[in-house]
Amino acid sequence: MKQPASWIAGHGCICASGNTSVTCYEGALNGCARFLLPKHRVESAYTSGYPVFLVDPAVVLSCPKDQSLSLHFFLTAAKESFAQAGLEPAQLTDKKVGVIVGTSVDASFHCLNVYKNWRNHNTSPQDIVELSHYFASATAQAVSRYFGFSGPFQTIVTACASGTDAIGLADSWIRQGWCDAVLCGGTDEMNLIPYDGFIRLLIASKEKCKPFDKNRNGINIGEGAAAMLLTSQALAKELNLTPKGYVLGYGNSCDAYHPTAPDPQAKGLKQAISFALQEGNLSATDLAFCNAHGTASPANDAAEACAFKEILPALPVWGSKGVTGHTLGAAGAVEAVLTLEALNHQVVPPTWGFAEMDEQIGFSPTQNKLKIHKRAAISTSLAFGGCNAALIIGAQDYGH
Amino acid sequence: MDTNLYINGFSSFTGDVPAEWFSPYIELRRLRRMEKIVKNTLFCSFQALEQAGLSVQEPKNMGLCIAAGAGSLENTCKFMDSIFEDGDELSSPTAFAGSVHNSTGLALSMHLNIQGPCVTIGQFESSFPAAIMTAVSFLQKGCCEQIVVAVADEVNPVAADYAPKHMDLFRPLLRNVQGPFERFSAALVLGRHPQGARPYQIKSVCMRREKKMNTTPRPICFAQQLVDLLKTNETFSLQDIFCDTQFNLEATPYVKP
Repeated sequence: MKQPASWIAGHGCICASGNTSVTCYEGALNGCARFLLPKHRVESAYTSGYPVFLVDPAVVLSCPKDQSLSLHFFLTAAKESFAQAGLEPAQLTDKKVGVIVGTSVDASFHCLNVYKNWRNHNTSPQDIVELSHYFASATAQAVSRYFGFSGPFQTIVTACASGTDAIGLADSWIRQGWCDAVLCGGTDEMNLIPYDGFIRLLIASKEKCKPFDKNRNGINIGEGAAAMLLTSQALAKELNLTPKGYVLGYGNSCDAYHPTAPDPQAKGLKQAISFALQEGNLSATDLAFCNAHGTASPANDAAEACAFKEILPALPVWGSKGVTGHTLGAAGAVEAVLTLEALNHQVVPPTWGFAEMDEQIGFSPTQNKLKIHKRAAISTSLAFGGCNAALIIGAQDYGH
Repeated sequence: MDTNLYINGFSSFTGDVPAEWFSPYIELRRLRRMEKIVKNTLFCSFQALEQAGLSVQEPKNMGLCIAAGAGSLENTCKFMDSIFEDGDELSSPTAFAGSVHNSTGLALSMHLNIQGPCVTIGQFESSFPAAIMTAVSFLQKGCCEQIVVAVADEVNPVAADYAPKHMDLFRPLLRNVQGPFERFSAALVLGRHPQGARPYQIKSVCMRREKKMNTTPRPICFAQQLVDLLKTNETFSLQDIFCDTQFNLEATPYVKP
């Protein structure tokens, strides 16, 4: 068995189902999450009809004024990662520590009030400060500054695959010897632009989403963040760290097919999964389950099913968006952390929202808690623009 | 890190590319409704691929890395305009779809027939160096044989208006072209093997965050500086510092052994 290059020294998560990685996982096990109409968060004509998955309001209210919510969520998850690893960030400042964060909203010009006031020739000094903050702090750079790291940094904005890409590229930086450690993951907050945008694209649901279900009718927007602190084997040994898991393989491939719809034949996703298996020197039979992107949009789930049946036949499939919502740029990272928790607890949660098998999909995802024994699992992400990513995670006792 | 990689093609353009310039590469009707940011980046990519001796018609093991700067601002602003002017229920789904950072990546992958790894980086002035790092990582891992690294930037109308009046707050941005004040595109083709008429061998590439903020004005953006150096056909060591980030790239013209 190939020795994993990247150790997961710690991980953290915050989303609608919990404020820590363990509570998020427990929420996923029990189907508990904050799913509500976002009248207190956005002003939209749609807020009486389209609910979303939101982070604990106490966490939202604790956001410092000089941070975006997305940055605040990520720092919260990152601090949990350090706590889990038993490390203070200052212990790493003499090491080469990189930062890679996936996001969508946080890197976008979503300064609605600033833009509205500018259009109306009604600028306030606060608008100018807000705009200058936006341009001065790309997410990964802001995280790197916050912790005082000096390695390379990247803000990945490959839409809904960003979080998976961030962890996969972080693993590459460790494998290639570019960094001793990389703090990586994804983050996104809910605001009016993605809220209205997905509704106007006619892919948002008024009900709780139903991944892979025959009657699935769209996504629910969510928000949150997840972080992983990856270290090289050498650094983990030097600092006497206990691995919480491993990154075993990563694959990325694009469809070159359609701006918003996945290729129905899922050529790109199949290739991304194959790359990840190849990098991990694994076959589908080595895996315990697949955490699917499973947005509950008709096209996404059908394309994923096409790939799974061919590349991962008979592998149990778990869709977690029924308790997290679609957290956009954070989704891949949130799902990687949930995948790791499921591996370490040896129980895969049910796919909340699923009730009836779709003949076209041809399988049912997990419907009850599923006991597992194999020590690796795969998580897949599909994004606007036809970007596909796959990540293979190993449990803390992988290879023992 | 040391590399054994090559810059096989390069191109850059500031402003709007005239439609007729595309005629050697693409049917002009395919440019209809294409965003300006995509058009410019696509044009630079065609030129860089041509210089690398690569045709978009042939199946190839190619990846794509986009440095999105501040993203597709034209579409983002259009979407916000549509909310303010027409209301939530009539806001433009087309503008929303186009506002996503990797919409440029999608258009390029479709028109350049790229089906390998594809990632978009969005961190303002340091997007291009970061995209080069990612491209090098994909090549070193063997995920692809060649990779297009493209810069796609647009003007942010609000920042362009405010910045000259508030130099104290926006000073760092004025140093960079890959930022909010110019529509700028560039493309490199990096490969694992030397190819094309005038390949450069990359000797080393590295990026790090400095603890101290640099305030020295930069006369020209990194991407433009790099393309200008590549035109000299001489060995160069490009060190660029923007805000608190340092990027180094050393390359030398490839000489066949």
